Amino acid sequence: MKGVNNKFATMSLSKDIQELVESDIISQDTADKIQMYYQSKKGPSQNRLFVVFGILGAILVGLGIFLILAHNWDNFSKFTKTILAFVPLITGQILCGFTLMKKRDNITWRESGTAFLFFAVGASISLISQIYNIPGDLSSFLLTWMLVCFPLSYLMKSSIASLLFITGITYYAVEASYWSHPTSDSYNYWILLLLTLPYYYLLYKKNPEANFMIIHNWLIPLSVIITLGILAQNAKELMYIAYISLFGFFYLIGNSTVFKEKKLINNGYRVLGSIGTISLLLALSFDWFWNKLRKQDFQFNEIIRSPELIAVVILSLLAFGLLYMQRRKKPFVDIDPIELIFILFIITFIIGLYSPLSIVLVNLLVFLIGLMTILKGAKLDHLGVLNFGLIIITALVVCRFFDTDLSFVTRGILFVSVGIGFFVTNFWMLKKRKANE
Amino acid sequence: MNNKKLLLIVFILVALWQLYIPAKMIYDSEKTLFAGKEYKFKTAPIDPNDPFRGKYIALRYEDNLTQVQNDENWTRNETIYIILSTDKDGYARIHSVSKSKPEDNSDFVKAKVSYHSNDNKNVNIDYPFNRFYMEESKAPAAEKVYSESLADTTKVAYALIYIKDGEAVIKDVLIDGVSIKEMVKSQQKNRK
Repeated sequence: MKGVNNKFATMSLSKDIQELVESDIISQDTADKIQMYYQSKKGPSQNRLFVVFGILGAILVGLGIFLILAHNWDNFSKFTKTILAFVPLITGQILCGFTLMKKRDNITWRESGTAFLFFAVGASISLISQIYNIPGDLSSFLLTWMLVCFPLSYLMKSSIASLLFITGITYYAVEASYWSHPTSDSYNYWILLLLTLPYYYLLYKKNPEANFMIIHNWLIPLSVIITLGILAQNAKELMYIAYISLFGFFYLIGNSTVFKEKKLINNGYRVLGSIGTISLLLALSFDWFWNKLRKQDFQFNEIIRSPELIAVVILSLLAFGLLYMQRRKKPFVDIDPIELIFILFIITFIIGLYSPLSIVLVNLLVFLIGLMTILKGAKLDHLGVLNFGLIIITALVVCRFFDTDLSFVTRGILFVSVGIGFFVTNFWMLKKRKANE
Repeated sequence: MNNKKLLLIVFILVALWQLYIPAKMIYDSEKTLFAGKEYKFKTAPIDPNDPFRGKYIALRYEDNLTQVQNDENWTRNETIYIILSTDKDGYARIHSVSKSKPEDNSDFVKAKVSYHSNDNKNVNIDYPFNRFYMEESKAPAAEKVYSESLADTTKVAYALIYIKDGEAVIKDVLIDGVSIKEMVKSQQKNRK
C-alpha cells in the first residue's frame, strides 16, 4: 500500500515540477536535481520487503538443511554423505560468487545469499563431524563455524552475516563458559567481537538510520551483557562493579550525539544501560551481598591479576572517558543521574568492604535516580519519563517489602505514599497539560 | 574494476578456506583410518543431543586412570599424550602418560587431563573420541543396547579406534564383536 502511495506521490510530484518549470519558477536544472533526490531517497525502501523475505527464506532453508543432515542417514554410504555435505556449501558459494560478480548492488541478493552460505558452511562441517565422529563439543564446533564465516560480512557487505556472527560467538561463549561442565574459558569471544566492530562502524558511516544498524544497536550490547559474566572466577564480587560500569558505559553511548535523538526503541544502549543499572542496584539493595562482601578476605596478589579486576578497570575507564568527553561542554545542572552511578557505586563498594553503611547508600542511590527521573519527567512534561521514575521508586519499595527487619507499619506507609504519589503526579501533570491547551 | 577483482579473489580464498576445513577433517580422519593402528578401547558404564549435529552415544572408557609421579603439576584441560599398549585379550591399555609428544615409535593418542588427585597420584583422562553419532531413529535404541551390555558383565562393549600420530578416529562401537548399528538394525527388524 505504501509503495502504491509512493508511486502516486512521485507521479504527482513530477507533474508539479513540470508545472513549476513551465511557469519559470524553477530552472530545468533544479527540477532534475529534485527528481534525482527523490529517486535516490526512494531507492532502498522499495525493496525492503524483498530483503526481509529473502533473508528469512535463506535462513529457513539453511536451518532446514541443517536439521535434515543431523538425522545422520544410515542408508547412505560414507561417500554419498560426504558429497551431500558439500552440495549446500558449494551452492552457497556459487550464489555468493555470482552476487559479487553480477548483483553487487542488490541488497536482497547479497543478504540472502550470504545468509544461506552462512548456514551451509555450518551444515557441511556438522555432517563431516558426524560421519567421522570427530571429537569436540558444541562450543568448539561453533568456534570453527564462526571463524570460517567471519570474512563474509566484510566481503559481501552483508549485515545479516555480521548479526549471525555476533549471535554465533555469543552462543559459543555461553556454551563454553556457562553451560558445559567442566567449563572452559572463552577469551576468543572478545577478539572475535572486536573483529566485527569495523563492520559496525562502516554500517554507521553508510546508513546510521538503517534497520540493520538498529538491530546491531541492540544485539551488540546484549551480547556483551550476556558474556561479561564469563570472566567471573575467584573475585566474583568485583563483577558487580564491572557490570555497573558496563551499564554506565552503554547508557553514556546511548546519550551521545550519535544516539541521543533516536527513538527509545532504536536506542538499545540507553534502554539496556538504564534498565541494567537500576536492576542491578535493586538487587544490591538487599543486605545479603554486603554481608558477604564484608566477610570476604581479598588477597591483594590474587586480585591484582584477576580477570575481574581487568574488566573493572577497562570498563570504568571507558565509561569515565566517555563521561568526561560528553560533560566537558555542558553545565553540571543538566546531569543525568544514571550517568554518574558507576562512579558513585565504586565509592559505595569500597565503603562496603568495611562498613554496612553501603546498604543505605545503594538504597539512597536508587531513590535519588527515581526522584530525579520524576522531576525530569515533570520538567519535560513527559508522562513516560515521570512514570518510569515512579516505577523505580515502586520497585525499591517492593524490594523493601521483602526485608523482614522493617516493621509492617513502616512498609505499609511506604506503599500507601508511593501509591498516592502515582495518583497525584499523574493527575497534576494531566491537569497542567489541559490548562496549557 | 580492480577493486572488484580483488574482492573476488579474496572471496575465492575465503570460499576455499570454507571448503578446506571440512575437506581437512575428512582427510585427517581418512588418513588415520587408512594408515592408523587399530585399538579396541573397552567402554565403561549414557541419548545426548547436539542441536546442530544430531544424536550420538556418549562414550566413557574403562581405562581412563593412571598413576603418575607426584612432583609434576597436572592441570585440568591440559593436553597430554597417552602411550598405548594392548593387554592379553587384545584391548587397549594405558602404558604411560606424558606431557610431551613421544619421540619414539610407540603408539600414542592426544587427550586431556580431566582431573588429578594429589592423594593417590592419579590422573583421570578425558579421551577426545567420546561421541559416536547415530541415525536419529536408531540413537535411543542404540543407547539402550549399549547400557544393557554395560550392565551385563558377560558382554564386552568396546570402541574400535584407529590411531595415527596422536590423532584418533572412531571406526565403530561393538558389543561382543557385533557392530552396534547392526545390532539395532536386527533388533528393529525382529520387532517388525
